[in-house]
Amino acid sequence: MIEALFEGLFLVLQWKPLAFMALGIVLGFWVGLLPGLGGATTLALMLPFVYAMQPVEAFAFLLGMHSVAATTGDITSVLFGVPGEAASAATILDGHAMAKKGEAGRALGAALTSSLVGAIVGAFALAIAIPMVRPLVLTFGSPELFMLAIVGIAFIASLSAPGPRGMLRGFLAGGLGLLCATVGQDPQAGIARYTFDILYLWQGLDLVAVLVGIFAIPEIIDLAIRRTSIAGALPAGRISKGAWEGVKDTFRHFWLTIRCSLIGTFIGIMPGMGGAVAQWMAYGHATQSARTAEERKGFGAGDVRGVLGPGAANNSKEGGSLIPTIAFGVPGSTAMAILLGGFFLLGLVPGPDMLTKHLPVTFSMVWTIVIANIVTVLACFLLLDHLAKLTTVRGTVLIPAILVLVFIGSFTSNHHYGDILVTLVFGGIGYLMVIGGWPRAPFVLGLVLGKIAENYLYISVARYEAAWLTRPVVLILFAIAVAVILYPLLQRRKPAHA
Amino acid sequence: MRFILGLLASLVAAPALAQYYAGKTVTIIVGYKTGGGYDATARVLARHLPKHIPGKPTVIVQNMPGANSIIAANHVYSVAKPDGLTIATFNRNLPIAQLTRVDGVKFDMTKFAWIGSAASECTILAIRTDLPYKTFEDLRKSKQQIVIGATGPGANTYDFPLLLKEFLGVNIKIVSGYQSSADIMLAVERKEVDGRAGSFTSIRPFIDRNLVRPLLRARATEPGVENLPIDEDLAPNARARSIMALRSAPEIVGRPYVMHPNTSAEHLKTMRDAFAAAIKDPELVAESKKARMDLEFVDGDFAVKVMREVLSQPKDVVDEFSKYVKFGE
Repeated sequence: MIEALFEGLFLVLQWKPLAFMALGIVLGFWVGLLPGLGGATTLALMLPFVYAMQPVEAFAFLLGMHSVAATTGDITSVLFGVPGEAASAATILDGHAMAKKGEAGRALGAALTSSLVGAIVGAFALAIAIPMVRPLVLTFGSPELFMLAIVGIAFIASLSAPGPRGMLRGFLAGGLGLLCATVGQDPQAGIARYTFDILYLWQGLDLVAVLVGIFAIPEIIDLAIRRTSIAGALPAGRISKGAWEGVKDTFRHFWLTIRCSLIGTFIGIMPGMGGAVAQWMAYGHATQSARTAEERKGFGAGDVRGVLGPGAANNSKEGGSLIPTIAFGVPGSTAMAILLGGFFLLGLVPGPDMLTKHLPVTFSMVWTIVIANIVTVLACFLLLDHLAKLTTVRGTVLIPAILVLVFIGSFTSNHHYGDILVTLVFGGIGYLMVIGGWPRAPFVLGLVLGKIAENYLYISVARYEAAWLTRPVVLILFAIAVAVILYPLLQRRKPAHA
Repeated sequence: MRFILGLLASLVAAPALAQYYAGKTVTIIVGYKTGGGYDATARVLARHLPKHIPGKPTVIVQNMPGANSIIAANHVYSVAKPDGLTIATFNRNLPIAQLTRVDGVKFDMTKFAWIGSAASECTILAIRTDLPYKTFEDLRKSKQQIVIGATGPGANTYDFPLLLKEFLGVNIKIVSGYQSSADIMLAVERKEVDGRAGSFTSIRPFIDRNLVRPLLRARATEPGVENLPIDEDLAPNARARSIMALRSAPEIVGRPYVMHPNTSAEHLKTMRDAFAAAIKDPELVAESKKARMDLEFVDGDFAVKVMREVLSQPKDVVDEFSKYVKFGE
């Protein structure tokens, strides 16, 4: 085991895998920055280039590219409030709020450092989990996955504003998200729901188009109305100072970062949960670390913990999501499905063998994720201060460029004008939610988890009838869901007694 | 004399065609997002087609997902130009959509300029190896219920076992809602379900790993499963047989490639020849073998014949068929 761990490291530390990894990093860097152009599409485009490579070189190239895209996606989120990737939208809430306070450097520093910690924790959790990973994944059947989605939905309680009014609004927004998730052909009877005879809506609402609309459009409107730069009228000197501060923040809240990394790894391991879920659960957990109601109000207005949580989870999930692909030959996401194609091209058969006979190759993948992230974060720190200065550029100059990013980003999801319309409609909804004081995070959580919850509930009932309710892991997860809902209530009562 | 004239004509035509395609871009429109089987096949072809088209044009792939490919098919049928530079590949089940009169279908499958199909898709039923049934007969005779995981109606994971249950009297319970065929495979592994139906290509790695055992197949076949019994052969009556045949017919044209209906005969022939040659190209064969993708060219004329067969069914058969099978992925 330890032997394989080092053998894996030495496999990566040869000049050819390193060179290919560097190439992958450069590509992934840009793919991550540009919204819409996702890691999955790029993997599909790059797959033909791996024919002539050795397995370790090929995975260094593909995985290097893929894991870096997740890291740099946070940069676009923080600077412009435009999600660089579907999986980096949660960073916007506090990251972009910090940028508006003139703390873009600090937010970027925190996002990148937590990403690095996340990647390393995720990789190590993976290495430790390898012997028990098959039983772990097999324990989570459809009933357990349904309850896991319920735990995710329960986080709405933490993501809502304090007080009964805030809670009500949070759950209503979450309900709207769940409703939006039902658009499209349902998988049980094949009936088209809420499609209004429009072909485009058959596949449901595209997550990227919705996220770009609901987060980016309100920010652009806000910027246009304020007629200043993103960071407002703050002195330029304050901005570049922050990057190192963000690094320190990561270590100030070190255990939070670690816990969120572990949440990310766990969600990554669960096949079918999807990358977008991990960061929202991590964000929900980060808000729970607020000790008083006052502190809780800071979330969404630029609390650095709101950047650290999703930043960490976003990268730690990469290690986790390799597991179903490697150990079962069952990909957990589109990107992993394409990677699975890479396995076949290289003559490797994913399955139990990857955890025994080919263990060094598996570990070389883990190392690739770690090394690629270290390289990227170091490279980013050189650029960070320059990037942060973008928030001092006058809004009127910046807005056209951001708008181009927004619409190209949404259009690349289906290459259909419907994508643009979805972005505009949800942009309008997002703006109304912002000015009306309705939280957007619960909506997104509902949207992301709706389909998962519905499908697994149906399967659980169809397969086990009522018996699934008594499965031990289901009961444990139910208790966790209840605890997650009650936690903010108890938390808020404390200062009243004190 | 005629021979000489013909020879001359072809000598003149070839450079003219080469001139036509030289420096141009041929676009293959895929009716799905990147990452699936249709997309992967199109990308392999795009790499190897240029060598086999006169004038060596650039060939690119463009994804046009939505409505299970209906959007892409409508586009090539009426929006794209009939200039031989736009090719579409889409859901093999589109003839079923036309047959069952799905809203939004604005094409006639028999009228496309058919290049052909790049592969046939073989649907099989596979169950866990730890179950006591060694053959399909064992399964059919046993009165025990088996649970089959599926994605949803319209997919072969759902429709194939549904017809086995309805017409062959196998005691099957279908549990649908899995997000992808990979998710069903995981459910098989954790014994949540007993087996699944699906394309042989996607199940093969798990057969090799001895997790599941193939029991039965549909009409379209591939090397490796020829000897399995065929569902239609076991049908108790003519009606059941025709419904099963109708479900499986599109699978013979598993990876359809078409152009605009008004494409000139010359351009159509060029593409048919290019596809036939590219799929035999040793480089492509080596590549697709590595990617575990079995490509085999089915000529366009045969594809049109299959389309006509599907679409000329009497009304009572179509009505009966629509009771069971819906158009889907």
